[in-house]
Amino acid sequence: MSLIKKSQDISPPVLEENRRTPRDRAGLLSQLENDAPDIRRWAALDLVEFPDTAEVLCAQLAQETQTPVREALLTTLIKIGNPIVVNRLIPLLRSEDAALRNLVIEALQQLPEAVAPHMKEMLRDPDADYRIFSINVLDNLKHPQAPAWLQEVVEKDDNINVCAAAVEVLAEVGSAEVIPALSTLPERFDNDPFMEFCVQTAIRRIQGNGNRI
Amino acid sequence: MKRVLVIDDATTVRMYYRQVLEAQGFAVEEAANGYEGLEKALMESFDLYIVDINMPKMDGYTLLRSIRQEPAICATPAIMISTEGQVQDANAAYAAGANLYFNKPVKPDVLALTVRMLTGEKPT
Amino acid sequence: MNSPAAPTISEEEFQKFRDFFYRKTGIYFEENKRYFVDKRLIERIKATDNETFRNYFVMLRFETSGKELQQLINLMTVNETYFFREEYQFTCLVKSVLADILPRKRCGEPIRIWSIPSSSGEEPYSLAIYLLEYWPQVNAYDIELIASDIDTEILKKARQGRYDQRSISHLPAHLLHKHFTTTANGAYQISDDLRNSIDFTQVNITDLNQMRIYRNFDVVFCRNLLIYFDDTSRRIAAEALFNALRPGGFICLGHSESMSRITPLFKIRKFPEAIIYQKPLR
Ligand SMILES: C[S@@+](CC[C@H](N)C(=O)[O-])C[C@H]1O[C@@H](n2cnc3c(N)ncnc32)[C@H](O)[C@@H]1O
Repeated sequence: MSLIKKSQDISPPVLEENRRTPRDRAGLLSQLENDAPDIRRWAALDLVEFPDTAEVLCAQLAQETQTPVREALLTTLIKIGNPIVVNRLIPLLRSEDAALRNLVIEALQQLPEAVAPHMKEMLRDPDADYRIFSINVLDNLKHPQAPAWLQEVVEKDDNINVCAAAVEVLAEVGSAEVIPALSTLPERFDNDPFMEFCVQTAIRRIQGNGNRI
Repeated sequence: MKRVLVIDDATTVRMYYRQVLEAQGFAVEEAANGYEGLEKALMESFDLYIVDINMPKMDGYTLLRSIRQEPAICATPAIMISTEGQVQDANAAYAAGANLYFNKPVKPDVLALTVRMLTGEKPT
Repeated sequence: MNSPAAPTISEEEFQKFRDFFYRKTGIYFEENKRYFVDKRLIERIKATDNETFRNYFVMLRFETSGKELQQLINLMTVNETYFFREEYQFTCLVKSVLADILPRKRCGEPIRIWSIPSSSGEEPYSLAIYLLEYWPQVNAYDIELIASDIDTEILKKARQGRYDQRSISHLPAHLLHKHFTTTANGAYQISDDLRNSIDFTQVNITDLNQMRIYRNFDVVFCRNLLIYFDDTSRRIAAEALFNALRPGGFICLGHSESMSRITPLFKIRKFPEAIIYQKPLR
């Protein structure tokens, strides 16, 4: 038959099973626990209409194993984006699950206002891995305080990988004030060649040498 | 010329490995996350992958597991290099399909030698 | 009064910008693109009343609306559309992708293909022409072609199907003669048969509610749109496209776009002609 035009109505006659079940708050919440990933995923997307379910959504994210459902939960959580979401997501940075941690980092990056009040504390956490994840959040966070937070890290933190992560971000967002602090890093870490390389790169990038007026 | 694909979300880390390996005569390609790494690995051929753990969109473990399931590239050796320094991290790296695990930062001579060994390049 | 010197971009600044732009878009500018990039950056630095790259970059990096980044992306990419743009993907469709899909089709079930955003119609009409001309099995199947865009004006143009020289310049002459007539004022009018083979609809890809009714597609062409979106809008659009596809359905992005900056929801499928993304079968 070849190319056919399906008239004006492009909607399929009956939409899948999820259309037949109630799309109200209670209905969606119960579908969030359904065994079928597809139903959980649709519930996660539709719950965006009910921002007060943020806590449940975060709890589901923590235990969800299917990538498409996780992604949908995250999409909804970013759209809700309130302080409750951020409060519930931050502890997940301690998860053993690398994929989950990175999803959480991605979400937090999108919520600068709600993340900002937590950042100082996150950067002072005793766990170095956790501090690195916090710096990863700053890597793509549109918050004017980011350079100052990172400067404090390079001045005070004594873990080489934490400092290197901060230097990486400062290469993009840092300005001239941070150069003295950067310059002391190689010495603080036994002139480690990697640290030297990072610091040199960052300083070069911060200085640039474009035309300034 | 042997080809190495460096997969790490940190620009400076990729630049560093590139500098070390190019000095040893390797050709280096870069990818900024696991998904992009998989895409490049499927499009071009490489003699070795260097893989970070924590990256957006696709983490290093997931990437390695995916590589090990792709018939065309599953035999290519991979070094995982990350900031997490616990034994369980090395175990997890091995389980996902890494041939070697290093804790960051890696000394340049160690990196150069390991890459030579795993790619079968003659010692200098 | 001194007129300020024109801003310049140093090597380090170029690299800093290049790495940032790569992280945001997946587009990587080699050194030989330096002139191209500098010129456009300087244009934007001036247009935004910044005097230096440094000031401009801070604004670009921290601006919450992301408007300036979008402006830059517009400048750094080709915004126009034309017939047979990125033709290798159409080749991939008729040579590889459809063959992958057919075994999953029940008898009599149509093949559904979606062009979003269709803009003024060049892309969906190219698809129609390509299928008719280059897919040997075209007569054995029902094919539904749907084309959507957010812009109702552009959709009007698409339905009308009248094009200028620039739009058709990549089209082989024999296909031009076969499917178009020349109008009095030198425009090219596409045939009524082709106009009648495509459903044009208006939709905003980031509106999950509007997108809900678009389901069961086998192939979606979503080219040169997501690159202009911020991270969150891309993520929402990706969810919507995932919803729109059947399990095992395929999605083609523009050649400068990569799923690696958007979502890991899709599998990477390598065909001889192109890399295409696939919704997992299970
Ligand atoms: C550069 S054209 C791409 C046309 C064609 N796909 C191609 O690659 O040549 C971009 C189109 O995206 C449409 N567009 C922009 N935002 C949109 C949205 N949120 N939903 C749907 N279409 C959108 C614009 O109206 C424009 O026609």
